[in-house]
Amino acid sequence: MATVSTPWYRMDNASVMYSAIQREDYSAIYRFSAFMDREVDPAALQRAVDRAMPRFPGFAVRIRRGFFWHYFEPNPSPGPFVREDSADFCRPVRFGEDNGWLVRFLHYGRRISLEVFHAVADGAGALVFFRALLAEYLRQLGEDIPAGCAVDLDSPPSPGELEDAYLRHAGRVSRSFTQVKRAYQDLGTPEPFYTFNVTMGFVPIAQLKERASALGGTVTEYLSAVLIKLLLEKQRQERVHRQRPVALGIPVNLRPYFPTETLRNFIMTVQVSADPRLGDYSLPELVSLVRCQMRLYATPQNLRAVMTRGVKLQYNPLLQLIPSVLKNPIMLRSYRTSGVRPYTATFTNPGYFALPPEMSAHIEHMEVILGQAAVARPHISAIGYGGTMEITFSGTQQENDLEREFFRYLVREGMHVRVESTRG
Amino acid sequence: MSYCVNCGVELGAGAGSCPLCHTPVQNPHAVPDNDAPPFFPTRHEGVEPVSRRMAGLLLSSMLASVALCCGILNLLFYRELWWSFFPGGAAVMLWVWFAMPLLFRRLSAWCRLTLDTLAIGVYVLLIALAVHGLDWYLRLAVPMLLCAVCVCPTVIWVVRYRRLSILSSAILVLLTAGFLAAAVELFCDLYLRGVWRPGWSLIVLISCVGLCIPLIVIRRVPSLREEARRRFHV
Repeated sequence: MATVSTPWYRMDNASVMYSAIQREDYSAIYRFSAFMDREVDPAALQRAVDRAMPRFPGFAVRIRRGFFWHYFEPNPSPGPFVREDSADFCRPVRFGEDNGWLVRFLHYGRRISLEVFHAVADGAGALVFFRALLAEYLRQLGEDIPAGCAVDLDSPPSPGELEDAYLRHAGRVSRSFTQVKRAYQDLGTPEPFYTFNVTMGFVPIAQLKERASALGGTVTEYLSAVLIKLLLEKQRQERVHRQRPVALGIPVNLRPYFPTETLRNFIMTVQVSADPRLGDYSLPELVSLVRCQMRLYATPQNLRAVMTRGVKLQYNPLLQLIPSVLKNPIMLRSYRTSGVRPYTATFTNPGYFALPPEMSAHIEHMEVILGQAAVARPHISAIGYGGTMEITFSGTQQENDLEREFFRYLVREGMHVRVESTRG
Repeated sequence: MSYCVNCGVELGAGAGSCPLCHTPVQNPHAVPDNDAPPFFPTRHEGVEPVSRRMAGLLLSSMLASVALCCGILNLLFYRELWWSFFPGGAAVMLWVWFAMPLLFRRLSAWCRLTLDTLAIGVYVLLIALAVHGLDWYLRLAVPMLLCAVCVCPTVIWVVRYRRLSILSSAILVLLTAGFLAAAVELFCDLYLRGVWRPGWSLIVLISCVGLCIPLIVIRRVPSLREEARRRFHV
């Protein structure tokens, strides 16, 4: 009797890392939220989820543990089910729990949230999915949302949406472009498991743009420069024996550089840094420094070379032969060396979330939260929507020095900041 | 709406204090609305930490069953030798190494390291009992293990918690290695010949001291230290 084999697909370069460093008390997770103009209707949201999931098979997967590698396969379990949100944002994913689902749909008051395990997709891919979900949710409420506002849920999924773009665009030459091997570690006191602190600041985009362009940078470069400046100051106040460079990891969306339809991971982290041993930096100097480093390292050639390095490592025949039981601890160790130590903090800005007027009339603001870091230090994320930039500081550390100084700094720069926090 | 007088940020409608600096809100024109739903959910679902205890119990039961089975088999077969002490001792040692950290998570690293070394001592004791070698155990194995128990955790504690620089750590580790080599030869000589005649360990010790001297000089002279950092990217 012929048996029908379950389809499966390999993990991409980023997924391999995120699934390898996965622990029972830590997962790489992020969350997007939309704050609606009225209370969320959970039944309509569930109907929208049920309609959207089949169109996005890359999100309807579970992770299976293979002998040599983890891999994805379609999740036949019922769900995912819409749940009421709790204060435990971005709690760890456990492959054996929650029917193996790697995405969560949550609602609270007027807020709809989507949490995604990073092995499944990056922020840009998840935003495409979230946009389609929001459009369908509004349709379920009886709103007239034209078909062109988001991905058509009746169209079949494109194979390009599931492609491993790293593999497709990898070249021949591989390089590593991490400049700082060991950066200043802004470590705080870890909260007991599972306490996750979130502080959000809402700043008018126009004010941010005006200040950033006065200093000759973009909003991302300006915010990165402010963060570096405050971290340099913090390190100086700590009077450490040996000052280290302050380095931010800024994930860069590779889609504008390399054409692809993929909704899976296709990002690369670029490091921008300032070395306090070389002297003091003013804010305009830091904006200029960040701008130059971004321009220098975020070039198609450099990005392709770094991408190639990761792909070559993943497809190295010797490494492939090592069982995953042995490989994962090695990858966890290498993540500490290459993903934790070289960075003081991570700052991600998935960009401006533009919606057509038919949809934007029903969404007041957008939010983004990066889940816990591998160590107790803050993660910073920002998303623009309407006239507001939402900036989030999240993490499992007790201290809130950085976010306090950051928002105070923006106020001193003449900006209006509204703050909401779980810290109370 | 209220603003924090310290930070200058606008606060949420229900905020009784600034979340950044905890300054209380005292605005008679905008009393905090305690009835307004909080901006973020406050209900905790209680994310359970992983049950390491169950894993520890499972491992304990597996190791105990191995030791028990070997003990029973030893009573039936090859009774002239207490061979079950070998797998039984190994089971005890493995339990201390792997199951105990799962069951007793609050044990300090220093304490665990000491217990790990003592577990080796117990294992070697069982071997000594099985082969009637209590003499070499007491005169050779016990002093060596005690020496390791005293020195290794202390060095690890100093390096880890005193936040020594790389150079200071390297000096300490080198001197410890030299000292341990000398101690091993001392115990071997005392057991075999009854008198200490330093030989190979002296070469190790002097080499370690010789390596330490330039490191100490580099550690003491700031310009050299800076140069070494630059050259070795540390």
